[in-house]
Amino acid sequence: MSNVNAVTFTIVVVLFLIVTLTGFAAARWRRAEDMMHLNEWGLGGRGFGTFVAWFLIGGDLYTAYTFIAVPAAVFGAGAVTGFFAVSYTIIVFPIALIFLPRLWSIARAHNYVTPADFVRGRYGSRGLALAIAFTGVLALMPYIALQLVGIQAVLTVMGVGTSSTSTFVKDLPLFIAFLVLAIFTFVSGLRAPALIAFIKDTLIYLMVIVAVLYIPTRIGGWGHIFAAGEAHLKAISPVTHKPTGVFIPTTGNSQLAFSTLALGSALALMVYPHAVTGVLSTRRRDVVKRNMALLPIYSVMLGFIALLGYMAVADKTTAANVKKAGNAQLAVPYLFQHLFPSWFTGIAFAAIVIGALVPAAIMAIAAANLFTRNIFREFFKSDATPRLQTQVSQWVSLLVKVGALLFALELPKTFSINLQLLGGIWILQTFPAIVGGLFTRWFHRHALLAGWLAGMVFGTIAAYKVATPTTSHWAGSVDTIFGHTVYIGLSAIILNLAVSVILTLVFKAARVPAGTDETLPQEYKADPVGAPAAAPAGVGVGSTGPAGDLPR
Amino acid sequence: MTQPSVASRSSGGPRSAVAAHPVTSAVIAILIIATIFFAVYVPLYASATPKVGDFPFFYFYLIAYIPAVGIVLGIVLLLQNRLRPVEGADGGAAPGPGEVTK
Repeated sequence: MSNVNAVTFTIVVVLFLIVTLTGFAAARWRRAEDMMHLNEWGLGGRGFGTFVAWFLIGGDLYTAYTFIAVPAAVFGAGAVTGFFAVSYTIIVFPIALIFLPRLWSIARAHNYVTPADFVRGRYGSRGLALAIAFTGVLALMPYIALQLVGIQAVLTVMGVGTSSTSTFVKDLPLFIAFLVLAIFTFVSGLRAPALIAFIKDTLIYLMVIVAVLYIPTRIGGWGHIFAAGEAHLKAISPVTHKPTGVFIPTTGNSQLAFSTLALGSALALMVYPHAVTGVLSTRRRDVVKRNMALLPIYSVMLGFIALLGYMAVADKTTAANVKKAGNAQLAVPYLFQHLFPSWFTGIAFAAIVIGALVPAAIMAIAAANLFTRNIFREFFKSDATPRLQTQVSQWVSLLVKVGALLFALELPKTFSINLQLLGGIWILQTFPAIVGGLFTRWFHRHALLAGWLAGMVFGTIAAYKVATPTTSHWAGSVDTIFGHTVYIGLSAIILNLAVSVILTLVFKAARVPAGTDETLPQEYKADPVGAPAAAPAGVGVGSTGPAGDLPR
Repeated sequence: MTQPSVASRSSGGPRSAVAAHPVTSAVIAILIIATIFFAVYVPLYASATPKVGDFPFFYFYLIAYIPAVGIVLGIVLLLQNRLRPVEGADGGAAPGPGEVTK
């Protein structure tokens, strides 16, 4: 611990303690009569207004890993695989505005907690719902792990634990952060990340504003930053004998890769279970809509965060440090450590650590809800009371985090990152069933399942085969198909859709039963005021809960 | 299914709203498609010039485009409110200041 800066360390610890207390106090925030209901623990009472939801969904989507990985990708490869994230987080909102309000309405009308609940109710298919739930859990695990990897990046640069040879001592700070996260999620459910999101985002915005105004003055201005970035990316890599990266995508293929990555990722983001959890926690349909117009403010911040990658290139000390460590993920932490006074480095590092806790908690809750609703309740205990469901979710959220911790500690970091890239490809395969189902009942449930399977298999194999001269497999998420460089998720979903359409025609011709649809057309536009549907009717996935446990 | 309550007031559903306001609906559709198109169509902005301040055009465009999308989506929401049936208690009350949460 000799090289740990005491001021930085103290500030991080103090802010972490404040967040811990907030996490536990959140259990008392907007307290409901009966907290042992998934509407409460898992969705924060379904009562958040525009303001709270803005912080919660923003905190949910813009993860700590984003703050680390996006600039790292810009640092390493430039526009196509890095700065595309800015384009992606712009178009996600108009796309989401098309379907999220419908998802909110139908979920409120039937008390759905997860996207798989909706699929179950819409298509009357346990198998399809299981596929959606399975994909969700599968994609969320490495995503949570990456949040822990983000924390690790900060801890590494702080020098915490690195001087020790014992793996236990080395990882102790991560264990502690993890334990705190696990316990306050268990106790407070979604209320904890919702409340902590206020602290997280205040710190993050502060960090970004200061970084954007201050760092350029220290390292020669924006002109120098962009020039350094351009020179770095145009330099011929000795390994690949090609330019290191792309500063501005001017060739047809780099533009196609840029836009398919943006489009595919944008389609995927809002069908991620944790995004749905954030959206379903809101009070009104209008809250969802308003947030689609307000959340782009976060993307402005992301745009500047991405440019931190070029700042890290332009600052010679940072670039040298990153090179020595051989890990581009450390670019932002090193940049802050070198250029900020140590007290502000502490604030910035705390922002990243806390920024990891919020999405990690929501993801764990989302994964736990998927398990409870669509696996446990569906296949093992169909008469599970709301109380039992909540208890199962609480414990599963814990289990999910243990799994993610093992991911983060045991597997090589590149593996987690690959899995997360795969996660995006996988989640995208649930898009036809979920979003298609919001607009039409035309697709046949078995066809959607087959399409999902085709997309999953194709996407996984295609991603496995991506190779560079330095990496033999899983080298990225773009692939060349018929001479065009395209995001694999997007080519997989096209295959998925094609299979779904063709098999729907086949199954319809063969008169295979389509399953019962428990939803009504007007429910997709409904905006019930106040209480979320009491849904005492035991129809489909609808809760069997007593009507008394509603938030007002 | 026990709660078709509020929804049924906007009787007729989306189609009647679109039919009642074809121009507004078309404008909404065009605005949403445009916000996506002007980000996805990269050749439009993939150049270093004209520089804006020290920012190459590509980087300036993308960052400046974000608030523009926020504003356009805000306009879309205002237009969507006009599509709502006025007598619908749920629809009519929603945009009112009473419901705006803070």
